[in-house]
Amino acid sequence: MKSIKKKYNFYAGAAVSSWALLIMIVVGEIYAPFKDFLKGTFTHHWIGKVVIVAILFFLVSALEKKRMEEKHAWYSVIAVIALIFLFYIIEFFE
Amino acid sequence: MRDLLLYSHVILGFLLVILPVLLLVYWKKPTAFSRLIAVITAVISWAVLIPAGSLYLMFYPATKTLILSGAWPWAHSVFMETKEHWGIMLPLATTVAAWLYIKGDPKASKKWWVLVIVLAILVAVFGRTVKLGAGTI
Repeated sequence: MKSIKKKYNFYAGAAVSSWALLIMIVVGEIYAPFKDFLKGTFTHHWIGKVVIVAILFFLVSALEKKRMEEKHAWYSVIAVIALIFLFYIIEFFE
Repeated sequence: MRDLLLYSHVILGFLLVILPVLLLVYWKKPTAFSRLIAVITAVISWAVLIPAGSLYLMFYPATKTLILSGAWPWAHSVFMETKEHWGIMLPLATTVAAWLYIKGDPKASKKWWVLVIVLAILVAVFGRTVKLGAGTI
């Protein structure tokens, strides 16, 4: 438990991997070759996003320990959750 | 196989609502046991991706075809697309909540647990909407 408390800053991991997910969603929908790359590499674009988000989350949490604060993570996660929904609503009506 | 995946998806998703509620209501002050529950909740949030992903990859394509040819194409285009990606956000929020809780900062973890509860319920409601969308053909 002590090592988890000290070795990781999950604020950083949550903020960075959330935005990475949103970027992958948007780029995947507007630039088909990126989605094809995810499919080709990970067998399915969803698996590709899960793997990349998970790796980024733990990697950034382990490497970035000081600069990221709670508010960065909180607002990033809330913003990405809202923007994912908004993006698909806009895409549906386009 | 489908039933096993479906039940584990529903049960693990249900635990992502119940366990945070218990942590918020009964274990406001972390104990060794409640810290273990917090860690288990975080593990569940990652583990639920296995049945969720398996159902999505193996069984959802047929449902998707039905939805897109029915009266509610938005059930897939908006609700399912959103749900499948909110599902990836859940373990991030749950891990942060558990990390704060086991660090001995249950006050800071509170809003993250609430987010986990709200997001897990929304994912379930969206899932139900998707299912209803398949019945509109």
